[in-house]
Amino acid sequence: MQFQPIYYDGELLLPKIELHMASCQAIGIVTDVKRKQLLMDQLVDHSNYYLFQAQQAEYMRLTVEELITFLNKITERNERVTSLMDYFALKEERKVKIKDLSPSKRMYVTLMRVFFAHQPTLVLEEPYFYLEEQDRRQLKRILEDLSKEKQILILTSNLEDAMISCDVIYRLNEFGFYPLDIRDSEEDKQEVLEQDQANITIQKISTKRNEKVILFNPPEIDYIESIEGSILVHVGGENYDCALTLTELEHRLLNFGFFRCHRSYIVNLQKVREIITWTKNSYSLRLNTDQDAVVPLSRSKLQELKALLNI
Amino acid sequence: MNISLQRAGAIFVKDYKEFSRNYGLSISLLFPIILALLFRGAGPALGIGPSASGAFAFSLVLNTSFVLLTCLVQACLIAEEKERNTLRSLMMTPATTLEVLIGKGTLVFLMSSVALAFATLIMGYKPASIGAFVAAILLSIILYIVAGMICGLFSKTSLDASLSILPVAFTFTAAPWGTFLEEDYPILKVLDYAPSSQLVHLLAIGKIGFTTGDLLKPLLIILAWTVGLTMVSVVLYQRRLKDE
Repeated sequence: MQFQPIYYDGELLLPKIELHMASCQAIGIVTDVKRKQLLMDQLVDHSNYYLFQAQQAEYMRLTVEELITFLNKITERNERVTSLMDYFALKEERKVKIKDLSPSKRMYVTLMRVFFAHQPTLVLEEPYFYLEEQDRRQLKRILEDLSKEKQILILTSNLEDAMISCDVIYRLNEFGFYPLDIRDSEEDKQEVLEQDQANITIQKISTKRNEKVILFNPPEIDYIESIEGSILVHVGGENYDCALTLTELEHRLLNFGFFRCHRSYIVNLQKVREIITWTKNSYSLRLNTDQDAVVPLSRSKLQELKALLNI
Repeated sequence: MNISLQRAGAIFVKDYKEFSRNYGLSISLLFPIILALLFRGAGPALGIGPSASGAFAFSLVLNTSFVLLTCLVQACLIAEEKERNTLRSLMMTPATTLEVLIGKGTLVFLMSSVALAFATLIMGYKPASIGAFVAAILLSIILYIVAGMICGLFSKTSLDASLSILPVAFTFTAAPWGTFLEEDYPILKVLDYAPSSQLVHLLAIGKIGFTTGDLLKPLLIILAWTVGLTMVSVVLYQRRLKDE
């Protein structure tokens, strides 16, 4: 899959992107609304891409079963509708008109159009945005099954949504297009450095932004992430560069209730609100901040975290 | 080109269910019958037009119904799909242009035929030649379906669609009335070639003393309109496919 670069006003909005879509894996691109539109504008080839846009609405006056029957017939899949309804977990809503469904269920039913697509690549814009927890799980299951035969690309502006069902996640912003390290890695190979016991403990974390040095008190920090070797300190929805490595930061912040929840993440445990379980092997931490931030949690770190929190 | 009846049928069934539950739209099925009831006694009393018989009143009922039922419903069916982005989704399925148009058109065609048959019964009109009459009505229905499709493709919401049929109403329904102004404005003779005016001529042909040529001329003109508009609508639909 290839995207042509797009310039606007001498500024590079979209770099040239080449995605190698392997089967059995879903790719996520986390980006803003404008770039999302630019990407989708390049996916006009109806024979290759099925494009599901967020503003897709549904035939409101049909019942759920009638809609599935229609989609089944129009795409000539000719499967048994009752078994499809079971598979979609829509049995209870069988006779309900789509306009009477809850917004989350209505979106979920609309998303079933993706299931019937015959194109080899499925592109979904913000599939999880309107869904409630339960519908998200169902969709994740269906997308997982679909990804066995098809390539799936998810465009979203929310990293949390991308993490639900993507194996590879890229971020696309004004700095370019780069992969995010979210894979659940095995135990860190890195040797823990023997830290000299400093006589004076420095309480402040020094960061840089626009050539200014900004000092933060550790409790202010939400979480710290490492992207391609550079360390970003997230405070109140903004991020700041930091010269220290994650391991150094981990040691320095240990006493302030910080926790290395992932190879490239340190989180302030005081700000963790929720542990989200996607599947038996994938977890995230939701933070209690203004912006709805979510940080991945390694499977290997879960036990450690549970011990820390006495749960 | 292969046409899959299953896919066209699926669209037909889906649209029928949507239409029958959309009371704002399905009420238009009653328009021909209401009009027929209103004009039933008015035929001879009206005493105007090319023939001072019931024919002009009947053609008035027909020409109005074509716009209010056939054209409006067809335009709304397409515009509603556009409003909800389902048309775009439909274009990504294996269904072809023709199947979508056939599925939607057949539904409106059947409904219009039934409603107009009732209107004809109520009016008690006796045509000179049943074959020519039926052919003219069926051709006209197709013509107005296609006009409705064009209106639908030009509008973004169903509200747009109900307004977009106004030009059709003005040009086609009003055309027979243009004959009354012909003496003052010779240019209005053009209106005589509108399909609605031709329908008036066809209906006015008396029981006795007509030739096949009398019947054929209006039929051929209506046929030409139908074929022309159909081609326009297919081209428009395909252009819309590329825009998306």
